[in-house]
Amino acid sequence: MNGGKTPFDKLGVTKEELIQIRNRIAGSSTLLISPEEALQEYSNKLDQLIRRAFQLAQAQESVGSVCLIAVGGYGREELAPYSDIDLLLLHSSSRDEELSPFIERVLYPLWDLGLEVSCSSRSIHECLKMAQSDLYIKTSLIDRRYLDGEYELFRNLNDPFSKKILYRNIKPFAESLKQELHLRHKKYEDPHYTLEPNVKEGIGGLRDFQMGRWLIRVRDETDRWDSILFPDLSRRLEKSVRFLWTIRIQLHLLSQRKQEDFTFELQEKIAPLLGFPDGTKGIEKMMRQYHLSAQRIASFAQDLLNHILREPSAFRKTFLFFRRKRIDENFEIAFGEIRLLHPMALKRDPTQLMTLFQYCQSYKVLMDFRLEEAILEALPFLDDRFRTSEKVNQIFLSLLRRGETLGLLLRKMHDLGILSRFIPEFSEIEGLVHYDLYHIHPVDLHSILAVEELEKLKNGFYEKEYPLLTTLMKRLEKQEILFLTALLHDIGKGREEDHSLIGSVLGKRIARRMGLSKEEQEWIGFLIQHHLLMLEVAFRRNLHDEQVILRFAKQIKEVHRLKMLYLLTFSDIRAVGPEAWTPWKNSLLMELFLKTSHLLEKDPLGELSSQFSSLPQTSEYLEYLPLRYLSSYPPEEVAHHIEMARSIETHPLKVEWVIDQGTRGKLTICTKDQYGLFSKITGCMFLNRINILEARIHTWDNGIALDTFWVEDLTREIERRLEGFKKDLHRVLVEKIPLNDLISKREEPARLTPKVIPKVKKEVKINNEDSDFYTLIEVIGEDRMGILYEITRTLTDYGCNIHFAKVSTLGNQIIDTFYVQDEWGEKITDRFKIDHLKKALLHQMS
Amino acid sequence: MKKIEAIIKPFKLDEVKNALTKIGVQGMTITEVKGFGRQRGHTEVYRGTEYKIDFLPKVKIELVTADEMVSQVVENLERVARTGKIGDGKIFVSSVEEVIRIRTGERGKDAL
Repeated sequence: MNGGKTPFDKLGVTKEELIQIRNRIAGSSTLLISPEEALQEYSNKLDQLIRRAFQLAQAQESVGSVCLIAVGGYGREELAPYSDIDLLLLHSSSRDEELSPFIERVLYPLWDLGLEVSCSSRSIHECLKMAQSDLYIKTSLIDRRYLDGEYELFRNLNDPFSKKILYRNIKPFAESLKQELHLRHKKYEDPHYTLEPNVKEGIGGLRDFQMGRWLIRVRDETDRWDSILFPDLSRRLEKSVRFLWTIRIQLHLLSQRKQEDFTFELQEKIAPLLGFPDGTKGIEKMMRQYHLSAQRIASFAQDLLNHILREPSAFRKTFLFFRRKRIDENFEIAFGEIRLLHPMALKRDPTQLMTLFQYCQSYKVLMDFRLEEAILEALPFLDDRFRTSEKVNQIFLSLLRRGETLGLLLRKMHDLGILSRFIPEFSEIEGLVHYDLYHIHPVDLHSILAVEELEKLKNGFYEKEYPLLTTLMKRLEKQEILFLTALLHDIGKGREEDHSLIGSVLGKRIARRMGLSKEEQEWIGFLIQHHLLMLEVAFRRNLHDEQVILRFAKQIKEVHRLKMLYLLTFSDIRAVGPEAWTPWKNSLLMELFLKTSHLLEKDPLGELSSQFSSLPQTSEYLEYLPLRYLSSYPPEEVAHHIEMARSIETHPLKVEWVIDQGTRGKLTICTKDQYGLFSKITGCMFLNRINILEARIHTWDNGIALDTFWVEDLTREIERRLEGFKKDLHRVLVEKIPLNDLISKREEPARLTPKVIPKVKKEVKINNEDSDFYTLIEVIGEDRMGILYEITRTLTDYGCNIHFAKVSTLGNQIIDTFYVQDEWGEKITDRFKIDHLKKALLHQMS
Repeated sequence: MKKIEAIIKPFKLDEVKNALTKIGVQGMTITEVKGFGRQRGHTEVYRGTEYKIDFLPKVKIELVTADEMVSQVVENLERVARTGKIGDGKIFVSSVEEVIRIRTGERGKDAL
């Protein structure tokens, strides 16, 4: 001490030196050296400082017998560089006023060094009284450590604290810890804390671990928490805790304050310090390790709590002893828990493990602590034989099929490491994270959450909010396939290749191993490969465009697959995080689902696409060809149509025909689509007295109209009439001569009085239900020359754009169906307009 | 400075965003919204059960830009977001009195 000029060097250390000491911890706290040593070293340094401050104060101020005690984290010698330092000044009687100048003398020089020190002063009696009611004081006293002063006082506190308070009754203690944990976790449930976790207080943070330690201390009266755990488990837990500490120390040092949130900024800085690779990959790797560690710590604390709280009282134990229930030769249920009858049973026959989960599901019981240890011991025996065992797989699938407490069971399997032994591919996605804001949960957890979302649908949890999805899930056949797909949908993540594609291959492989049928394997492969398709189409494409829906339907092919994909998409988005799923996305997905299912239920499109993909010459045009068109013609004809379509690039109109039996002909017309085209064609037929028996008109997506007509001319002059028709159509379409001019020029041929034949009833039906994109107009009436021209002209006059028509004649009756849209490409929904159109059409037919 | 709010069809978002970035729009706020205008909601029927869709999903784009940019932004919005069908949406333009960048305290055009 150099004269004590300034308070800073009173203790022989300057602020800068203290920072240097802290930074030395940084150097040693990479993954190379265990952080415990660094922590201890720092704590020792502080001990020296604080003792000196205490002794200086004692020299200046006389107080009676006092004792300085380190409590909390400092008491454990686990002090992060900028953590609060908690001290307790124990005194023999209550003389608070006398003590405060003394405490100030101790604290001021420490505060001047920038240390966050707080010191409370209590008598032994006060300590005991407060510890009874205050959880925080109680837990901080568990970790008390003598620093300086009257040792007798410290000893006098020990005995009554242990006997009267600590070891008295573990249940209320566990209960209040559980409440504390619950409140604390609630605060960190917010998904942002999953991305930027709180190392100390967050879920699976260091506080959780500490809580577990306190519980062991109280229950087993030992500080050696690792001694009561299964060695493998304690080793992994120790590694996890060490990793969190390493990060916490870095957080403090880099921020130079008590920083416990592991923010993006600090993730970027810390990853290279801990030797992770550069860039996003390294951060993702580090965060993966973080999540795996936190998961382990969280389940350690949670399991301990559960077991302590579920332990029945001695009285109840005797009572329940008589209510033990033996399930089979290996398991019994006692005290509401399932237990193993023979410790070796699982090792002898590992398949019993899956049976055990089946019992957990059907009896709705949890596992005994010792049983979990037995499982851990049996893990190495879960080999290929286990994975391919028919019995094991059948039971696993039956768990899924039953679908109750599924999330819980899968989480347990995951926590105990069974899931990744049973499905080794799953270990690749454990703890895997994306360094972005959207993907909140690590992939393994996300996958289990997706299963849980489906389970909630099945249980009717979303009945009010999402009635359609609920109904679909409840009525879905083979639910186990969907559950399994949800569990595996991201199995391809974390690799270089497209995760949907590789995931599909892996998914099929797993399904095969589980002994699923060929068809079920294909379903799983298909769903995984396309698990992003539905949301891409729903959010990025125009759902009012029929081609969009048709193309989507063509990929899906079956209603059953559509339903599964819809449900999978829902569960996938919901499992991303609470903010990912919005009513907005819900409406778009529902719209896509409904439109596609209408389409698939009306005409199954399955065989079409495969039939036409074999046509090489159609490939460049195939995307333009509407399915309705493709379903109307055989492939050879499609190929020919495409040739015609190519030729109209030079000649704007192509008309071809084939004569059959001298009076009938099949006519093919190809041209660029224009408004009222159909009406113009039928007008020119009318001009040349050609009777239309049947017509199919189609418009391709690239604006080419391809129409086929079956026509008749009973005068056997069909060839000449068709030539005339071709010339007239050229005049109207290419030379743009108004059709009306041509019609008025032709004289009306003399007509015989028509023969009296049975009257045909007239009917016009306009329906908006059968198609999501078109208004269907059905016209039934008596056939006569030119009727089609008149109907189509009326439709055109009323602003109807005819996209597709089917015209047929039965005797003297015509039945024509037109698929139309208005000028805006929408269905005709205005009642007033519909009524007018109906009247006009009926009028035309009389 | 003017604030431009546009309500557009969801699937047009990417196109609109690209078009606006191309002409130098620095930033915008996107919100998923639901509502209806002349294109009312509708009822969907699936297996005899009716599912009401009262509000239609749209995307709202908000951006504030200097006066001289307004016509270019609006023209681009109009051109790209148009499908010619009902429900294409609307564009609102309104005056903005002041803009402050919180980090630096810059005001007016500099803060855009």
